[in-house]
Amino acid sequence: MTGILGIGAFGSSRRNWSVARFLYYGLLALQHRGQEAVYIITADGDLHEAGGEGPVDYTLVKGVDDIPGYAGIGIVSPAEGISIHGDVALAGDGAPFLTGGWTSLTSKLSSLLNSSSPIDASVKILDEVPGAYSFIALTSDGTLMIARDPSGLRPLEVGSLGFDMGAVASESSALEVMGMKHVANVEPGEVVVMDGYSVEKAKVTRAGERSRLCSFEYVYMARHDSIMDWLPVYRVRVRIGEVLAEEAPAEADAVIGVPETAVPIAAGYSKASGIPLEIGFASTGRRTRTAIKGSGIDRLIGVQLKLNPVEAAVEDRDVVLVDDSVVRGTTLRNVVWALKRNGARRVHVRIGSPPLRAPCPYNSSIPEPDELIGSSLSEDQIAEVVGADSLRFLSLDGLIRSIGVPMDSLCLRCWGVRG
Amino acid sequence: MGGEGMKILVVGGGSREHAIAEAIARSSSTPRIFSVSENRNPGIRRIVEESGGEYALAPISDPGKVAELASRWGVEIAVIGPEEPGFHGVADSLRDEDVAVVGAVRKLAVMEMSKAEMRRMQWRNGVPGRLLFKTYHSFEEAMDDLRSQPDAPTWTQNVALKPARQAGGKGVKVIEDGQAYLHREKAEFKVKHAEWIDRYISGYGDLEERILVEEKVWGPEYTLQCFSDGYTISCGPLVQDNKNAFEHCMGPETGGMGSYAGPGPLLPFITREEYDRSVEIVKKMVDAVQRESGERYVGFVAGQMMLTELEGPTLIEMYSRLGDPEGVNLLALLETDFVDLLEAMIDGKLSSVELKFSEEATVVKALAPKGYPDDRRAAGGHPIMADEGAMTLDGCKLYWGSVHEEDGLYTTGSRAAEILAFGSNLPEASEIAERCTGAIRLLDGWGLYHRSDIGSKHMLERMDELADRARALYKYREERGTLGKRKDWIPGLGLVDPAQELERRLRG
Repeated sequence: MTGILGIGAFGSSRRNWSVARFLYYGLLALQHRGQEAVYIITADGDLHEAGGEGPVDYTLVKGVDDIPGYAGIGIVSPAEGISIHGDVALAGDGAPFLTGGWTSLTSKLSSLLNSSSPIDASVKILDEVPGAYSFIALTSDGTLMIARDPSGLRPLEVGSLGFDMGAVASESSALEVMGMKHVANVEPGEVVVMDGYSVEKAKVTRAGERSRLCSFEYVYMARHDSIMDWLPVYRVRVRIGEVLAEEAPAEADAVIGVPETAVPIAAGYSKASGIPLEIGFASTGRRTRTAIKGSGIDRLIGVQLKLNPVEAAVEDRDVVLVDDSVVRGTTLRNVVWALKRNGARRVHVRIGSPPLRAPCPYNSSIPEPDELIGSSLSEDQIAEVVGADSLRFLSLDGLIRSIGVPMDSLCLRCWGVRG
Repeated sequence: MGGEGMKILVVGGGSREHAIAEAIARSSSTPRIFSVSENRNPGIRRIVEESGGEYALAPISDPGKVAELASRWGVEIAVIGPEEPGFHGVADSLRDEDVAVVGAVRKLAVMEMSKAEMRRMQWRNGVPGRLLFKTYHSFEEAMDDLRSQPDAPTWTQNVALKPARQAGGKGVKVIEDGQAYLHREKAEFKVKHAEWIDRYISGYGDLEERILVEEKVWGPEYTLQCFSDGYTISCGPLVQDNKNAFEHCMGPETGGMGSYAGPGPLLPFITREEYDRSVEIVKKMVDAVQRESGERYVGFVAGQMMLTELEGPTLIEMYSRLGDPEGVNLLALLETDFVDLLEAMIDGKLSSVELKFSEEATVVKALAPKGYPDDRRAAGGHPIMADEGAMTLDGCKLYWGSVHEEDGLYTTGSRAAEILAFGSNLPEASEIAERCTGAIRLLDGWGLYHRSDIGSKHMLERMDELADRARALYKYREERGTLGKRKDWIPGLGLVDPAQELERRLRG
């Protein structure tokens, strides 16, 4: 899981801008995509680097004000996503199928730049390196090279600030947090070069490959205030809840969603079923993503801090508990136990996605099948494990209908659909 | 050789002036066309030669020089294209030589030249569609306000920062300070930019006020272009210009990278009622400037408008000329004989001329060498070539702009050409224009860019959405009687109407 962003100022007054804090806040808004490491690199004739392991507001808070630069890139991720080779820095999301990964891709780009223009060099990378990835590269003179490979599986969105700056980020919400207007997506196979005085574009296609959207982004990964590839994440999640209510109705007095991803899903379920929505939890401390935490203990700490039940919302009620996905069942088991402890009579679990069945070759955060509870147990068996009175998943068809694009425009691999 | 008719002079050498010269040449009265410009524009040159007129290179903002050429050639009517000659009194000096002029004299052109004076005039005369503003004589004077905290209890956090003088469409910055955590960056940028404006405007040496800060509003923009004879204002179809250099409304401010109009007099996202209100605003501004200056307004006049949630049609800037590229759309659609129209403006008989426009959709796309608008030196000096035959076959027209013909044709640093296409709807016209952009290039391999999104279906959808949002809000204000009303609550002072404050300040 990775979030990347890049920003550059335009024109003769570009040196009047300092981008480091824009990057800082943009990355804060992408924090849910990766919590292990954060880096920023800026350019003002030289490259300046800051960052390290840890969350954005621990790692970058000191010194970011002093980093000069009118263009820059940033990443939240596992550490290997950023690399520097000579005059070229690169932040990448996804998996380029190339020995040596992002490091080799960066050095390849760097050597291509010796003899080609930034646009030609970036096009050549997309032509020659298969995989599923997006990247944002920066040279010391502030030129940004932005590329999304023809698979389209790793998202990139474009923002603009008045007459002064342009930016790209994994999600539109990060652009808005930087005060920008979200204006477009980077299209699958598109290369964009911004050098302060021009914006150039080129398009790459791969024989036999059509672009697809990552369905996991809409179910779980993206923030619900993001719009990606022109589809509002919020609208998809509400629709998931509505479809789920049709497919898996329940007799209950209250619907509650597990924060934060499943809250819009719960709203949709409530709307379609007529069962009132209640706010069932309050969170403590920083926002964490419990599915992607490293060790089991860390995950549990995350869940327990994030999900303190609101007794008055569930006491003496039959409850529909809505969550976005099930990885190992740890979160659910804990939550169901806590709800019953706080007075819920029945707990019917409804999951806003089909069972996760396979790891993702482009995204290391979905575990192997033997670590995925949904890949081997039935709905009733899982209900027993987590202590719920019933448990139902969204159907694959329901997911596709909720996203609202044809099946062959979606990657559904983690739900067990090959192709 | 034609040219039994009247001698008409066109001042200026850009795409708009090429379109003006062409519209004159279309007239059934077979006029002889003369031109004075600072660059030799091959499109204008050809029209001038075919009509049997003459072409001279001279500084077009030098009143003596232009008047001298006009009287040497014995021209009867002069049409002024760009704004700078108007600011410098070229219309005045032509009038002194007994040339009939279509173009604002200096005292009228002030309405465009001084953006601050325009705003004051609007408030003084109670013309609707107003914005709050403040002016400064130096950047030092502006500094405190520009740095004011983003929690200031009034409009100053989201502003447009402009040169107080029209500066060729340069130097406007729109800064929303809606993220207190990025306030420092934005405040610093505003101060540095104000310092630049101060220096830049002092270079013109004709205005005391340097910096204008206006409240920031949002909504779709459009230009209303009109003809004035001093008694009647007749307006044409609405046109939308696009100022950002690059696609998806990104990048630095330019003079305009492309414009679209129609089909019909309205834009798809503006209503008839909004059109009428816009005409009313422009009309009242012309009345005001005539009354205050004692001059008769004979010439083109335009309102650059925005549909805002605050008041509906709102005046952003006034032009004492046609827009560029908007003028190209307007004149391409004009079916009335242009010379008849010029004469009616001069004679004060505009009300007796029936103004007719084609109902078609038009799209204009500007082409600019890489480097424009911020590095004009890099953008200049490149050999340029167009296959006009191919363009005509595809249904486009080419209007040469910032190019100079001398031992070949070279770019001079600004928008080199504009391509016009017609269609039954805007996306169709946009696609035709897009196809034609392939027929023009720079011969040395330097980049020539344009915006493919001008008039596209996607752009129209976004404009529609924006207009719907603004309209829903201003209509609700209208119902509740709060159109254009603002209220601040300032700790220690209580409830304040910033508009009343402004009016008090203007009265002194």
